[in-house]
Amino acid sequence: MTATLPTATDPRPGTATAAGTAPLIPQQRTRPGGLGVRPPAPAHPLVRFRSSRPDLLLCGAVLLAIVLVQGWNITNFPTLSDDEGTYLAQAWAVQQGDGLAHYTYWYDHPPLGWIQIAGLTYLPSLLVPDWMTVAPMRFSMLAVSAASSVLIYVLARRLWLPRWAGALAMALFGLSPLSVVLQREIFLDNLAVLWMLLAFCLAASPSRHLWHHFGSGLAAATAVLTKETMLVVLPALLVTMWRHSHRDTRKFAVTGAVTACALIGLSYPLYALLNSELLPGAGHVSLIDGITYQMSRPGSGFVLTPGSGSNGVLRSWLYYDTVLPLGGLAGALLLLATPRWSVTARALAGPALAAVILAAVAMRPSGYLPAMYVIQALPFLALVLAGGAASVTHAVLRRRRAPGERRSRLIGRRALIGVLALSAAVYVLPRWYEGDRTALTADANAPYRQAAAWLGREVPDPGRTRVLVDDALWLDAVHHGFQPGLGAVWFYKADLDPAVTKTLPRGWRDIDYVVSSPTVRRDAVDLPNVKAALEHSSVVAVFGSGEDRIEIRRTDRADGS
Amino acid sequence: MSVGDVLYTSVVIFGISFALFWMAAFTLWWQMHAWRTPETLASTRFDRPDGEGRLAFSLLLPARHEQAVLSHTIDRLLESSHGDYEIIVIVGHDDPATAAVAEAAAARAPERVRVVVDHHETKNKPKALNTALPHCRGDIVGVFDAEDQVHPELLAHVDHAFRATAADVVQGGVQLINFHSSWYSLRNCLEYFFWFRSRLHLHAEKGFIPLGGNTVFVRTEVLREAGGWDQNCLAEDCDLGVRLSSAGKKVVVAYDCDMVTREETPGSLMSLLKQRTRWNQGFLQVYRKKDWQRLPGRGQRWLARYTLMTPFMQAASGVIIPLNFAVAVLLDVPVGIAIITFLPMITAMVTFVFEIVGLHDFGRQYGLRVRFVHYLKLVVGGPFYQVMLAGAAIRAVWREQRGRNEWELTSHTGAHLAPISATAAVSAAGASTAIREDGHQ
Repeated sequence: MTATLPTATDPRPGTATAAGTAPLIPQQRTRPGGLGVRPPAPAHPLVRFRSSRPDLLLCGAVLLAIVLVQGWNITNFPTLSDDEGTYLAQAWAVQQGDGLAHYTYWYDHPPLGWIQIAGLTYLPSLLVPDWMTVAPMRFSMLAVSAASSVLIYVLARRLWLPRWAGALAMALFGLSPLSVVLQREIFLDNLAVLWMLLAFCLAASPSRHLWHHFGSGLAAATAVLTKETMLVVLPALLVTMWRHSHRDTRKFAVTGAVTACALIGLSYPLYALLNSELLPGAGHVSLIDGITYQMSRPGSGFVLTPGSGSNGVLRSWLYYDTVLPLGGLAGALLLLATPRWSVTARALAGPALAAVILAAVAMRPSGYLPAMYVIQALPFLALVLAGGAASVTHAVLRRRRAPGERRSRLIGRRALIGVLALSAAVYVLPRWYEGDRTALTADANAPYRQAAAWLGREVPDPGRTRVLVDDALWLDAVHHGFQPGLGAVWFYKADLDPAVTKTLPRGWRDIDYVVSSPTVRRDAVDLPNVKAALEHSSVVAVFGSGEDRIEIRRTDRADGS
Repeated sequence: MSVGDVLYTSVVIFGISFALFWMAAFTLWWQMHAWRTPETLASTRFDRPDGEGRLAFSLLLPARHEQAVLSHTIDRLLESSHGDYEIIVIVGHDDPATAAVAEAAAARAPERVRVVVDHHETKNKPKALNTALPHCRGDIVGVFDAEDQVHPELLAHVDHAFRATAADVVQGGVQLINFHSSWYSLRNCLEYFFWFRSRLHLHAEKGFIPLGGNTVFVRTEVLREAGGWDQNCLAEDCDLGVRLSSAGKKVVVAYDCDMVTREETPGSLMSLLKQRTRWNQGFLQVYRKKDWQRLPGRGQRWLARYTLMTPFMQAASGVIIPLNFAVAVLLDVPVGIAIITFLPMITAMVTFVFEIVGLHDFGRQYGLRVRFVHYLKLVVGGPFYQVMLAGAAIRAVWREQRGRNEWELTSHTGAHLAPISATAAVSAAGASTAIREDGHQ
């Protein structure tokens, strides 16, 4: 898996913003219980989202903005990534009924993520089969983003944030240039976020229904089976459920949720067991091998060490946006430190904890930090930031306010809020405008499109031609008539998959073309067959220029050396 | 196996798994009714009484060979804080020992206790109750068993519940308490806990309820209008509930751990099996009487059908789940199908977990010390208990087929009574070998 965001050359130094001091509000008195006593109405009014017109209008307006910004130019920016190609090709295999992958499924990730992508793209691929390639299918992620955005709003309201703060959370989540660039891409993380947000919404269900909590466990398990890294967020979900469940039914609610989550989660090892692929052994893949591989991936260094891989990834995030990652994290730390004094801190303890855990995991010096990692943190960072803003506003407007307060003082309070809001806007908006403008106008995928078109146009007999391509181009090649698997070959399978190498007895001489993209050039170092094919081939077409160029190379079979 | 065989096996396994899954899921859904929301849980409790007892109670106490516990039960009833009630002890003409205890109690409290003698040749509980019904002077008829420990505040609460909800029937909670006695008593106690604490409230809400055999209160005129109890039914309590709910009567269920009537589990596994056989036969009889078909709602009729058939489905699933599992593991079916066979296992596991939490809650509410070994017994005993239930269901069908529908014995030893009285009860039990709740042959 590769870093998919361009590493920034000149990151702007980030500063934390409006993290918020929380208002001092006395803790709630414990509720009387006992014989015949009905529980009093909840301390906060129940939010009935579906029947609240202002909520629907506000949420709808922000949703429209998010869908427009994320959807416009979605096929051209950012650059098509390997991972997108991988998941979509696997989803394609699921649609074709070929099992969980078009090559041997080797337990790299739980398969639920691309099974969902297969479902999401099923109808469009049925109507226009040629569209089943990465760029057009990014539109399916728009539906995911839209659903997640709405869930953010619902969750914010369920965590008792005021309406405007809910809308702010939604806008932070959906309109930050970092979100726009990452949420457009076909990543498992985006789907996992959707499920985890659903789990949080159900955990904070205002009716505190046992089966909502049970459903929360199911949704959380689905999130983990979509992207296994969601596992680390589960404690934060538990905290949310604990806070939002009722003392009398909590025991059943929490146990039910944990049980649901565990039982559904166990279906993955069960699947491996039934396939006799749980434990490592000769001649087959296994779940344990898959996990061992993921855990032993070479670390990308400490995130704050200049020059390390992780640091590059961090800088690429901050290149797009500093407000959400740094401001959100600072806010989360503050909220976790002040639950005794702040209602907001208590209500947002779950999201704040999630943000902090995810940050802590990213800080592991030996860990591997992929570029899409931050996706899982985005909703929590957005919620915490919006919560912080609400908290500050509340403190400025209401704190130590006596009934007969002088008018001048009131004006002063409002003026202060105005200044704070204005300075935040002045700081954030120009940067976001620039970032989102790039996303709406840049075309980063022209070389890919041209290379795909060339393969379809210039190769005389694709059915009997072998081409090494990277994952992002694989489905294009398949649509142009190359044989999936052994005709159109994921380049690294030519060295790593025994089933493929078996069909290449003469090494590079059995390959006709190599499409040399940046990914192929980078990874060829460790792949003898690919390396040889690159060395023994000549360029027949080039698209783009510089580092990002894509070359189509034909192997020079006459060269017998 | 050929492709056809695999397909056929897969379809069968798929169908069975889904049926079992939904059955278990529904049962679980209903079993957990009370804990759905905090509001639901709160609404299962009695309202605090307003202190104005206005209804008169006639409390029926059928007793048969129960001289060891009867006196204690009556004394406890006499401690009631309610001002207006009478206790009618019903004894058999052929049971002088019990009659003597009853008469002694009547002599001690002549204004409260009366004795009615049942002269039926073959005796059973509904006959005894029907014998006493004409003698009832109160507005409300309440039924207790001879070994029941009734809370002094219960009548005041029931009185308030009748007036506050305009109910025709109030069903109070009954709780087996001696969970420590044996592995099956643990499960039996928990069954009662889930039934009275939770499931019955759902039935009251849906308008179809199989009533319990005691701590049940009915307006006297409603009961007389309904013609009392069915003397030929082995589950006369269930039958009464079904008939009253079919007639559109309002039933209210209230559970309060301080206020439940405490009982004990049957003394041996065999007597539990017999008790279950009788209930199952009774449920079958109620099902065949078809009173439930007069329920107005389609949903209610389905709930009735399902509830009355539950023992048999439970029996069937007890056999089918392991079989299905074995088939899935041993036969060569596609992995997807094999995964589906685990669906019923998942619901079974969830039920197990909720039972464990239920046991914890039970211990908390009744101030009982539930130890690790009890949780262990609960889990390990689960499958064996299922076998017992299946056995009782099969036995019930078999007896019903052969027309054997007389009452079987359920013996009691007084294990649920407080330590001092328990000693007395046990020594008395030793003397008379068995104390019987409703045993009549």
